[in-house]
Amino acid sequence: MKTIIYTCPYVPAEWIAAHGLRPSRVMPAAVGSTGPLARVEGLCPFVHSFINEVLTILPQTDTCGVIVTTVCDQMRRAFDILVRRCDLPAFLMNVPHTWQSTAAQKMYVDELKRLSRFLIRLGGKPFSNDTLARVMLEYDDARASILAARSYLSARQYAQLIAAFGRDGPGMMLHSETGASLPIAGVPLAIVGGPMVRGDLDIFDIVEQSGGQIVLDAAETGERGLCPPFDRRRIRVNPLVELANAYFNGIPDASRRPNSELYNWLKREFLDRAVRGIIFRRYVWCDTWHAELGRLKDWIDLPVLDIDVGGDSQAHQHRVPNRIRSFLEMLL
Amino acid sequence: MPGQITLQEWDQRYEQLRKAGLHQPDYSGPLSRHVEDGDTRLLKLRYDNSAAALRLWNFLLTEEDRLHKARAEGKKLVGTMKDLGTIPVMAYSLDNLVAFYPDGAWWIPCVMELNTGLLKIADKLGIDESFCPVRAMLGAFLTGAHFPIPDLLTCSVGATCDDFSAIAQRLNGLGYPILWWEIPHRHPPEPDEAAVKLPGGFSAPKSQVEFVESQLQHIKTAFEDLSGQRLDEKKLSTGIKKANKVRTYLAELRQLAFTAPQCPMPALEMLIAEMLAIHFCSDRNETIVVLKGLLEEVKARVRAGIGFLSPDAARIFWVNPVADLQVMNLFEDCGGRICGTEYLFTHALDAIPQDLPPTEALAQMALADPMVGSSIDRASRICNDVRIFGAEALLISRIPGASHCALEGQIIGEIVRDKLNIPVVELEVPPLTDSIRPALRTRLEALVETVRARRKK
Repeated sequence: MKTIIYTCPYVPAEWIAAHGLRPSRVMPAAVGSTGPLARVEGLCPFVHSFINEVLTILPQTDTCGVIVTTVCDQMRRAFDILVRRCDLPAFLMNVPHTWQSTAAQKMYVDELKRLSRFLIRLGGKPFSNDTLARVMLEYDDARASILAARSYLSARQYAQLIAAFGRDGPGMMLHSETGASLPIAGVPLAIVGGPMVRGDLDIFDIVEQSGGQIVLDAAETGERGLCPPFDRRRIRVNPLVELANAYFNGIPDASRRPNSELYNWLKREFLDRAVRGIIFRRYVWCDTWHAELGRLKDWIDLPVLDIDVGGDSQAHQHRVPNRIRSFLEMLL
Repeated sequence: MPGQITLQEWDQRYEQLRKAGLHQPDYSGPLSRHVEDGDTRLLKLRYDNSAAALRLWNFLLTEEDRLHKARAEGKKLVGTMKDLGTIPVMAYSLDNLVAFYPDGAWWIPCVMELNTGLLKIADKLGIDESFCPVRAMLGAFLTGAHFPIPDLLTCSVGATCDDFSAIAQRLNGLGYPILWWEIPHRHPPEPDEAAVKLPGGFSAPKSQVEFVESQLQHIKTAFEDLSGQRLDEKKLSTGIKKANKVRTYLAELRQLAFTAPQCPMPALEMLIAEMLAIHFCSDRNETIVVLKGLLEEVKARVRAGIGFLSPDAARIFWVNPVADLQVMNLFEDCGGRICGTEYLFTHALDAIPQDLPPTEALAQMALADPMVGSSIDRASRICNDVRIFGAEALLISRIPGASHCALEGQIIGEIVRDKLNIPVVELEVPPLTDSIRPALRTRLEALVETVRARRKK
């Protein structure tokens, strides 16, 4: 099956799958990896890694297209690099930053329709509402099973499960994970920030080894990036509208203007999970998240550990465990 | 005779002009008085010696006074953030609104040579030097020392740089209400989509123009509420005509400054003049008068065949504005001459269509912004303008920390080299370049030498 790759959580996998194509959310292997695009001063390491992943590894697979969104300015400009240097057809989807107007919501729906035309040009098939509804329910069930699995998986396993869902879709994952609830074994922490790369999932182990436990994965690639459950009644009435509503209105992010919903969501989840400290993970040159650090510290009466991820993964590997250990010593 | 003089020399010249009966507006006076306000960078610049340039500088450096005066007169102030030339046209269509550009605070660290502590305030708020110098705006809001806090703040988001969007959100989080409006990334129309040819030459789907129009309607309603007046089509059309007057003068000024055999106006004054197009420096009518004076001076110099710089100065097209104004002087010292610019807002220099419903015309202008489209589009317009102005090389000035600068320089550079086969240099200009001046000079001189060497082949 032809694969369409993307990384932004505002791209609904269901929409791609309904076209008979395989959606696959890319989580680059590591930051600072070498590739056709050299490191550039001022470029976010995640954007750099994503570009190199697309330019190198992915065109060798059955990938037939890439979707980039306007959620981040550097990713918007990464699209220009992909257009010029990559044979893979690329689509830049406008995801409005404002969200409180019907015009913004309509634009999101219109962009999904434009995306549909792109997917059809790549070999995707037009589909009925029933097909879309069926796919949505399938994904919804998978997401529900993932959320349920949080209680009996380690934080790392949970993050990997979410990543696998993004990469492979529901497939065999559905209802395959069961087990007894695990007790919270360390100081409950939240990780907050933009997307993670595969190599950075070690952070969950480091936290556990240092006496903590990530009880809330609020990274873009974690639980925060999953759209909320669909309203099944509304799916029957108009699946596209429900899909757009869930994705566009249901994923809180630092990039929204205003981004008050992110703070509402965090407040609720911090309380619900008795979070005692926050690991704020951001990429150097990611202005969107960087600017939230000071605000988060002003807003919440919890200790915040700032982990800035640059392009040098070796230095990062040495520095991060020490910082996390010190942070947890303070909390233990 | 045209010449470039220091601030001290300007004071002497001011006295001479005054005694000779020069008529200047009420905001005029010797330029050195602005140093007493803390604008110490002025001591290190060199200025055009015309009365028109004096008026331009005094106009620029008295904006804060003008804003306070407007408020005292009962006018409402609108801070139009991340907007390069569209929303101010709407605001100035109402006689009791004054729009200004809080982002303009990005020059304060340069003009006041970091003496104000604005960047330190931004640092304390977590907005450090990894952000664009526009972060000085946060400090300006918190101190209230550089402009009055506006009655309404608008900010465009979407296809804008992340720095500014993040800084504006930080400001919003500190309790400053912001009316956000969305500007989508401009994409080329698909074959089956109704297309619109935008001013400046780009194209966009009609649906995008309609979307932006809806956003502008939203702003219009807010302006009507704030001003207590109706912003009808007639008023908007009049506002557009006045804005076009500014743009017409600037177009003529640019054409002459970039193409006359002898450079008639230095790069620094031309940069300031172009910037007036964004928000009229808080007085649209006076902007028209200031530009008219500058244009008359330039025309007179061109007619007389007099000007600046060596006749063999390297003709360079400049991309992005500089954070340190002194670099424009340095560039000319190194043997360069500005022949074409793209200071991020070429759309604010193009005429606004007057044969369309005004809101639609303004929506087209907003979408014509080179920064809301792809860097490939932007490069294509740069190539056109390089040809028009006959530039021999391209200089891309990186803005430190700006999200768009990380990748756009590569793309623009590649395209310009491919299409035009001219040298391209990319260099970063921080708010104060004193410590890197030798390195900057070397790079600028190398570019000039390269241009001259290519002429001999």
